[in-house]
Amino acid sequence: MIQTEATLPQPDVSELDLVKRCQAGDTEAFDELVIRYRTRVFGMIYNMVHSEQDAWDLAQDSFLKAWKSIGRFRGQSSFYTWIYRIVMNVTIDWLRKKQVKGGGTEFDDAIQLTQIDPASKTVPKTQPLPHKAMERDEVRTRIEKAIAQLSPEHRAVILMKEIDDMQYHEIAEAVGCSIGTVMSRLFYARKKLQNLLRDVYENV
Amino acid sequence: MKTFEEKWTAWLDDQLSGRELSQFEASLPDKAAAEAEKTESKKLGELLKRELSAHPLANEEFFSHQLRERIMQETSEPAGRGTSETASYKWWTVPRLLLAGTASLAVFAIFTVAVMHEKNPAQESQYLTQILNTRVDPVVSPNATVSIFEVKQDRVTVLWTEGLQSLPADYAAK
Repeated sequence: MIQTEATLPQPDVSELDLVKRCQAGDTEAFDELVIRYRTRVFGMIYNMVHSEQDAWDLAQDSFLKAWKSIGRFRGQSSFYTWIYRIVMNVTIDWLRKKQVKGGGTEFDDAIQLTQIDPASKTVPKTQPLPHKAMERDEVRTRIEKAIAQLSPEHRAVILMKEIDDMQYHEIAEAVGCSIGTVMSRLFYARKKLQNLLRDVYENV
Repeated sequence: MKTFEEKWTAWLDDQLSGRELSQFEASLPDKAAAEAEKTESKKLGELLKRELSAHPLANEEFFSHQLRERIMQETSEPAGRGTSETASYKWWTVPRLLLAGTASLAVFAIFTVAVMHEKNPAQESQYLTQILNTRVDPVVSPNATVSIFEVKQDRVTVLWTEGLQSLPADYAAK
């Protein structure tokens, strides 16, 4: 028996209170929700797009969209799952548009690592790269390049599963597909990443 | 009915149990190879978690501040946008409706006049008379009269001439 078919977890009460206040137009309550989830949301988007500037802007857009549509949140799932759905829609749409503009057939956006849009709203983070961290940085670059070769939908499910430890049903809800589709996408995403990163995880 | 991919994924994530687990493991052709792949999958998961999970959001406060600003803009804009939208709504409907109505009537009137003008039977007769006038020289045949009898339903037209002294030189019956 697959354990993920269990009943959905009930959302946190205090979180529900915040949501209700948001629905009444309380921006401070929404600010509290943003503080709770901004790092996770940003981290997830960053792992999808591999650019701090783009991740910043997409996270902003996602939260803004969440604020605009908070009235439609019914509390049937956790706020986190609900906002992840918005995040995934915004990010996958962005990746698709970028792929169309680029005219490429593969999802390989690792080039973003070296391109910084001067018009971006983000303040670029300037951190010196310590010498001893270089090796780890190379590993990270390899991983990001490998993830960049996955389709946006495959990226989303593998990151939610492996990084955020989300359950199949939560991922399905966030992405808007069936549990079976999530498992199938996980299967292919793992196969591809294993082929691309075998030497990395075997040697690190 | 679950596909192989679904069962395999559930097995890798230790989500199979009981009869389903034993059935799936019994169906594997090479259990040792499958176990090795399961170990690889775990290593991949650990690698991803270790390397990707800790990506900090720099300037967290600025992030929230920027978002607050955008929300303030969004919440203040609808009121202003509402009035301008209402104004533009009024401007675009009533005058445009009047303008479109007037223009349509004008076009219709012009078209109708043009069509009626084209279909006027008198004009057709006049056209014939003009031709006849060019044929009948009033100096040569001053008392000549030409009458036309037309029955439109039967598509018959009779041309009746009287008082011709002679046929015009350039007359040619066809």
